[in-house]
Amino acid sequence: MGFDLHFALSSVPIILGAVGTTLFVALLSCVGAAAIGFVFDIVRRLGGVTGFLIGFAVDFIRSTPLLGWLYFLYFVLPFYGIRLGSMTVGVMGLSIYYSGYLAEVFKAGIDAIPKGQPEAAKALSLSRRDTIIHVIAPQMLRNIAAPLGNYFVSILKATPYLAVLAVPEMLGRAFDIASQTYRYTEPLMMAGLIFLALALAISQAVKRLERRLLAVGVR
Amino acid sequence: MHPQSDTLVDIQGLNKWFGALHVLKDIDFSVASGKRVVVCGPSGSGKSTLIRCINGLESYQKGVLRLAGTTLGLSGKETAAARRQTGMVFQSFNLFPHLTVLGNCTLALRRVAGKSRVEAESIAMAHLEKVKIPEKAGSYPSQLSGGQQQRVAIARALCLNPRIMLFDEPTSALDPEMIKEVLDVMVALARDGMTMVCVTHEMGFAREVADRVVFMDDGSILDRAPARDFFGTSGHPRSRLFLETILKH
Repeated sequence: MGFDLHFALSSVPIILGAVGTTLFVALLSCVGAAAIGFVFDIVRRLGGVTGFLIGFAVDFIRSTPLLGWLYFLYFVLPFYGIRLGSMTVGVMGLSIYYSGYLAEVFKAGIDAIPKGQPEAAKALSLSRRDTIIHVIAPQMLRNIAAPLGNYFVSILKATPYLAVLAVPEMLGRAFDIASQTYRYTEPLMMAGLIFLALALAISQAVKRLERRLLAVGVR
Repeated sequence: MHPQSDTLVDIQGLNKWFGALHVLKDIDFSVASGKRVVVCGPSGSGKSTLIRCINGLESYQKGVLRLAGTTLGLSGKETAAARRQTGMVFQSFNLFPHLTVLGNCTLALRRVAGKSRVEAESIAMAHLEKVKIPEKAGSYPSQLSGGQQQRVAIARALCLNPRIMLFDEPTSALDPEMIKEVLDVMVALARDGMTMVCVTHEMGFAREVADRVVFMDDGSILDRAPARDFFGTSGHPRSRLFLETILKH
C-alpha cells in the first residue's frame, strides 16, 4: 500500500475544514495564556503571601502535564457540578498550562528592563498602573517577541491534544478520515504539512514584528 | 529650629542603612526656595543616595525629611503628592526608549497632570525649545547623542512644572564635548530662578551658579560653605584634598 497522492490531496479540503477551529482555539489560548501569565508574574513580583502562592502556582502548572489539565477540567470537574464544553475546556487547559511558561518569559522580559526605567516613571509621579502599561509592558514586549512567538507556535502545535476531548480540530479530522478509510499515512501526513505551513507563517510574522519593534528605540 | 516657609527641603538627622552598610550618617541639609546647592564628594560618599531620598526614590530609617512641608515616608499618598513638586535628572538619562522625544515629555503630562494631547504637546514643545532641541521632537532616544538625550530628560522633568530640580550626576555619563551643552541648559535654568540640588563634579558649574557647596565623604557632610568660600582657601582638609585632586587633572 503505497502513498496515494490523489487520496492525500482529497483529504486536504476535509482537514482544512477544521483549520478555523484550530486557529480559533490557538488564538484564544494564546491570548488567555499571555493574559494569565502576565498577571501571574506581576502579582508574583508584589511578594507577600499572594505573591508566594502565585509563584508556587506557576511552578505547579509547569510541573504538570497538559493532558492532566485537560482530563481534570473535562472529566473531574463535572463530579463537582462544573460542566464545561469541550471547546471551553480546550481553551482553558491550553491557557492555564502555557500561562506557567509565559509567566517565566514575562519575568525574563521584565528583568531585562534597566532599573532606571521604573525609577524615571516614579520620579515623574506615574502611578503603578500607568508605569506597567506605558513603561514596562511595551519594553517587555520588545524583549520577549522571539520567545513569545515560539510559545505561540507551541500552543498551535498543542491543539491536537484537544482531539482527546473530541474538539473538531485538524488532527481529529485527519483521524476521522483514517478510521473511515483505514489509511493513516496520507491524512496524517497532510495534517502535519498544514501544521508545518501554519507554524512557519507564524514564525515569519513574529520575525517581522520583532524587526519592527527593534527598529525603534534600540538602547 | 523651625524651617522657614520658603524652605523646600528640610532634612534633620537623616540616617540610612543598606543592610549593615551605614550610607547616610546624621545628615542635616536644607534648601531654600530659589537656591542652588551643589553636592560633591568621592564615589561611595552617599551623595546620590541623599539626593534620591529627597524625592522618595530611597527610603530612610532615622531622622526627618520634609519636602515642601510634607514629611516623606509617613504616607505613600503624601509622599507621592510631595514628589510631584520635584523633577529629577539621572546620570543615565533614563529616557523611555520606546517613546519619541515628544512622547517622553507628554506621558506624565497626560497620565499624571491629566492634560489633553494638544495641551500636553504644546507644553512639551515649549520645554523642548527651552533646552534647544525642538527639532528632535519626533526622534527616538536611540537616535540622539548623549547630550541631546540628557537635555530631553531635563525638558521631560520640567514639564510637570516642579518647584525643585534634582540632578544626579547629570554629566558623568557624557563625552567631554557634550557636557557643555547640558551645563548651558542647567545654567540657564538656574538664571531663571529654579531651585536646584545638583550632585556633580563640575566645579566650574558649581562656581558659576551654586549658592552653596556641600562636600560629603563616607556618608557624612564634612564641609558646607558658600561657593565663594568653598573654592577659597578655607574649609575642611578633606574637601581641600578632594578639590586639589579633581581640579589638577
